[in-house]
Amino acid sequence: MKKLTAVLLTAMLLLGCLSVPAVAEDAAYLGVMLGTNVMSLDTNLATDGDSFEVIADCIDGLTQMDADGAAVPALAESYDLSEDGLTYTFHLRDAQWSNGTPVTANDFVFAWRRIAKEAGEYAYMLDEIGNIKGAAEIISGAETDLTTLAVNAADDKTLVVELNVPVSFFPSLMYFPTFYPINEAFYSSLEDGTYGTSPETFLSNGAFVLEDYTPGTATLAVKKNENYWDADRVKLPGIRYQVVGSSDNALTAFRTGALDVVSISGNQVSAAENDPALAQNLTVTGAGYMWYLSFSQTEKNANGGQLANNNLRLAITNAIDREYLVDNYVMDGSLATYTAVPPQFASSSTTGADFSADQDMFKEFVDYDPEKAAAYLETAKSELGADEFTFTMIYGNNEGDEVAKVAQAIKEDVEASLPGVTINLQPMTKAERLDKMQNDNYDIALTRWGPDYADPMTYLGMWITNNSNNYGFWSNAEYDQLIADCTTGAYITDYDARWEAMYKAEALVLQEAVIAPLYTKSQANLITTGVEGIAFHPVALNRVYKDTVK
Amino acid sequence: MAKKLTLAAPAQQAAYEPRKEDFAFLRARDIETDQNFASQGYWKGVLLHFFKNRRAVIGLIIVSLIIFFAVVGPMMSGFGYRDIVQTRNENNKRVVAKGISPQIPWLQRLLTGEEPSGAFGGYTFLFGTDDLGRDLWTRTWYGARVSLLIAFITIIIDMIIGMSYGLISGYFGGMADNIMQRFVEIANSVPRLVIVSVLAIFMPKGMGLVIVALLLTEWIGMSKIARAEMLKIKEQEYVLASRTLGARHSHIIFREILPNTIGPIITQVMFSIPTAIFTEAFLSFVGVGIVLPQCSVGTLIEDGFNNITTLPYQILPPIVVLALLMLGFNFIGDGLREALAPKIEDM
Amino acid sequence: MLKYVLKRVGMALLTLLIITFLLFVLVRIMPGNPFPSERMSDEQIANKRAEMGLDDPILVQFGRYMAGVLQGDFGKGTSLYYGAPIKTVLSTAISNSFRIGGIAILVGTLAGLALGITAALNRGRFMDGFCTVFSILGVCVPSYVFLIFLQYNFAFRIPFFPYFFDPNRFLFSTVMPSLSLSLFTMSTIARFTRNEMVEVFDSDYVRLAESKGLYGRKLVLRHVLRNALIPIVTVLAPLVVDLLTGALVVEKIYGINGIGKLMVDAIAGEGIDYNYVLALGILYSTLYIGVMLLVDLLYGVLDPRIRVSAKAEEG
Repeated sequence: MKKLTAVLLTAMLLLGCLSVPAVAEDAAYLGVMLGTNVMSLDTNLATDGDSFEVIADCIDGLTQMDADGAAVPALAESYDLSEDGLTYTFHLRDAQWSNGTPVTANDFVFAWRRIAKEAGEYAYMLDEIGNIKGAAEIISGAETDLTTLAVNAADDKTLVVELNVPVSFFPSLMYFPTFYPINEAFYSSLEDGTYGTSPETFLSNGAFVLEDYTPGTATLAVKKNENYWDADRVKLPGIRYQVVGSSDNALTAFRTGALDVVSISGNQVSAAENDPALAQNLTVTGAGYMWYLSFSQTEKNANGGQLANNNLRLAITNAIDREYLVDNYVMDGSLATYTAVPPQFASSSTTGADFSADQDMFKEFVDYDPEKAAAYLETAKSELGADEFTFTMIYGNNEGDEVAKVAQAIKEDVEASLPGVTINLQPMTKAERLDKMQNDNYDIALTRWGPDYADPMTYLGMWITNNSNNYGFWSNAEYDQLIADCTTGAYITDYDARWEAMYKAEALVLQEAVIAPLYTKSQANLITTGVEGIAFHPVALNRVYKDTVK
Repeated sequence: MAKKLTLAAPAQQAAYEPRKEDFAFLRARDIETDQNFASQGYWKGVLLHFFKNRRAVIGLIIVSLIIFFAVVGPMMSGFGYRDIVQTRNENNKRVVAKGISPQIPWLQRLLTGEEPSGAFGGYTFLFGTDDLGRDLWTRTWYGARVSLLIAFITIIIDMIIGMSYGLISGYFGGMADNIMQRFVEIANSVPRLVIVSVLAIFMPKGMGLVIVALLLTEWIGMSKIARAEMLKIKEQEYVLASRTLGARHSHIIFREILPNTIGPIITQVMFSIPTAIFTEAFLSFVGVGIVLPQCSVGTLIEDGFNNITTLPYQILPPIVVLALLMLGFNFIGDGLREALAPKIEDM
Repeated sequence: MLKYVLKRVGMALLTLLIITFLLFVLVRIMPGNPFPSERMSDEQIANKRAEMGLDDPILVQFGRYMAGVLQGDFGKGTSLYYGAPIKTVLSTAISNSFRIGGIAILVGTLAGLALGITAALNRGRFMDGFCTVFSILGVCVPSYVFLIFLQYNFAFRIPFFPYFFDPNRFLFSTVMPSLSLSLFTMSTIARFTRNEMVEVFDSDYVRLAESKGLYGRKLVLRHVLRNALIPIVTVLAPLVVDLLTGALVVEKIYGINGIGKLMVDAIAGEGIDYNYVLALGILYSTLYIGVMLLVDLLYGVLDPRIRVSAKAEEG
């Protein structure tokens, strides 16, 4: 007994000797909740919104988002566009990296070449979305000479970018972290693989500098960058991020005052609404991404391809009560969605109108109408010669608390409205869900997509034949043609015609029920009284703190 | 008794006609002297011991009650385990009975004299409803079915695989022990999540897979206990005596040593049950166990945990049921332990 | 003795190699992708796989991996903390989990022993009943539920402890997670101690000792507890390994960067991170094998009649 205690005590003493790095704690810092750990601060590797948010705290791109999400100048004071719409010339302002070296055009060239060479998740922003000349060849590995990427520094302050086709929303791509600069000299001085893994291995040129970060830790801190080119604008002395695992925990953390900004969902939202002390702190903001059902239309799934039947898909789409899902189970202010392109993120640059403001536009195809759904089912039954349908619906169990609830509610709704249809639920990790969808090994999937840029094409581009995100393997020549015209063909210079063509394409998607849109996610935030000026955006950068005061 | 009578009147003397005076009632004393405690079967003695133990009987009653409710409970409320209780309000909008704390309308009427209000005021929800609007009474007992099954499977796995493995490993020692223990180390070191995900490729997900997952590792703790006990006991004199008398290994292991190790073995079984119940919940959460809207006590506790500060009553019923079940099992286990352990007065 | 230990260590290395290989193969069979992606083309993913050498024969891959491990290089993440070398991420997690788990073990064992001994000495009385109920609740209430209870009461209602884990106030912020993690150990140890001691009290040799006039502390500690310790040490051993290697939900709730969360994130996060799963698997197995060796040696110390080592040498 004594020996055991002695052994344990010695072990404890030894463990106690390991030291922990010190962090500055400041009450004036803004305490902000993160939903997940920051995975990487390297623009080439980061893929999640939380990582992007922290990167954007510390680094500015050529443009930045204003409060309404429009692209306004940041490191580029101005830009010129050639008459054919193919060449952008950005003129950089005087700005500094946090080690004192100036930000030059070469920093962009270096960073963008690196994105193309490493060909990571967001490399597609360069070729498929940005249409930068030479990007596709490098990303696919066909071309190894990085200088063929048509991004060049004319001089230290002038960056020239050439495109394959005119891209109307190109300046608004520039605030996306993929297009941020990295200082080449600093990067080369680091040991391989250590860039962005600690405050010492990370340079900023933005509003904040990294103060405390170790990969894997639940906390992260940034402090104000005194050498920021727009330093007067930034009021916060710093931000303290804390990863919070559950909505319930977030609510209590907010109540204790441990955090100033948290996001909650489900029951915690109704608890906050009913608590007079909290109701005034509740703010709902758009989170951008849309949840929808994807149907596999290939023969190997759904009992020999039963879901290839259009009426069956329409029956399911029309059997789901979206308002009821949103009001009772999502509860964070998310919007029931009846369009293939969700509202609130893409607006016309000529009229300023939201592309999907009118949710009744396609009610003919997507609605909650049990009778119509039953009628579709009857047609499907006679067409397929079957009375009973059993499908498996997969969903991710690590994609938010409400997902399992929504899946169960959909099951009950569909089975109640469509006699003979059974939906079996199958939870799995998001990784496995994606794997199953990409290998076309599922019947129905509860999935989501967030806009990468502020144009309806970020959704509509998914359903062209053979696109890797076309999980239903739907193919429609008319649709493919419409999308081609909008991205590389006839409509690229005619803004309004392109807009109309996109509605036509959207109608096709919904008429054939390629997907069943469900709801557009919102975020219910609790913000401490007195904290103002956080810019929330549904696309690219979810939260920006440049104008925030506490 | 019969023996005595036949002695008094041997069958061979057939000519003798028995008369009424030959027969007399035995006195209680005579019967008792004849009834030797040791002549009873071992198991009969155990049972006798067991039922004399008040706590053991209470334990048995608790477990029986839980089994009873697990069987009939889900049918008592009138709601199905997957029914989302809902109605429509005056605007024809769907209203769901979610997050309702336990309510009994007639009791409310009795206590306050007022008619219960709200869209679901007239409904009886003994344990309240969950955040989907399902009756928790129904779900708790429905979930108890799954968890009871897990509990009994764990007992079987522990008692059959774990115990034999440990006893054999400890008894033979040397190379056999060495190999068997290295195997345990390998079996225990592959993360459960990895092995189960791989198994899920080859067999359907569901209860079967959970059982296989439990079979893979749940016996290890027990085998370690059994082995330790074996190591301790096998050096004792009576084992040596048995061995020199030429008893077979199986006899020594299972008849001589096993009864002396039963105490820690029963304690270990008791602790592996809740662990197994929570393992099932974890496996179900990652999608290889039971599938929603089905539930188990473990998954109900996890559900309740998600809303623990906003709907605190939600986590109570499954925890109380689990605790009662464990209390019952422990009482039974204690009773069995005392009944099974060889006592000096029994020798 | 030394010879036996050396032999066991040699065997442990072999076992470890087998475990690593098994894990190496199994993670590659698991559904999921080391490069989870919704935006990369098949070509890009194929290039990435080739770059990581995933298309080579499995033995070549394994050889390359082991060569790296022997030089202390566990690679870097593919779907988890991509940029950072695993060593860096793991060392913080290990230091956190070991310390919190270590305190939990210490508290759990000592309190469990105290509770168990008290119950055994007061058999059939209040303390005995309390011990039974406490240990049953202790295993039925998951540690994370207990943590929430502590957090709600002692960090929110009475703001005494930090609401989230704070590495700067390590001891202070260790109290609640360690206490909640120690609950299971405490209950198990208390129950085993109580039951074992009661049994030893009933045995003839303690009766003999008692009849010789031995009583009180000496009897309890020297004869009863010592004889009861073998099963206690046996159940404690795997608990030690489990607690040192972290607890997912407690870490998640309290914002601790620990091993448990890392493991689940590596297997069931965005993708399957082969390198993390392997590194953590090696860590866990090493600990487990080491602790088991320690336990076998401890048996001999607790009961000199037990000769695991001598037996093993024969065979």
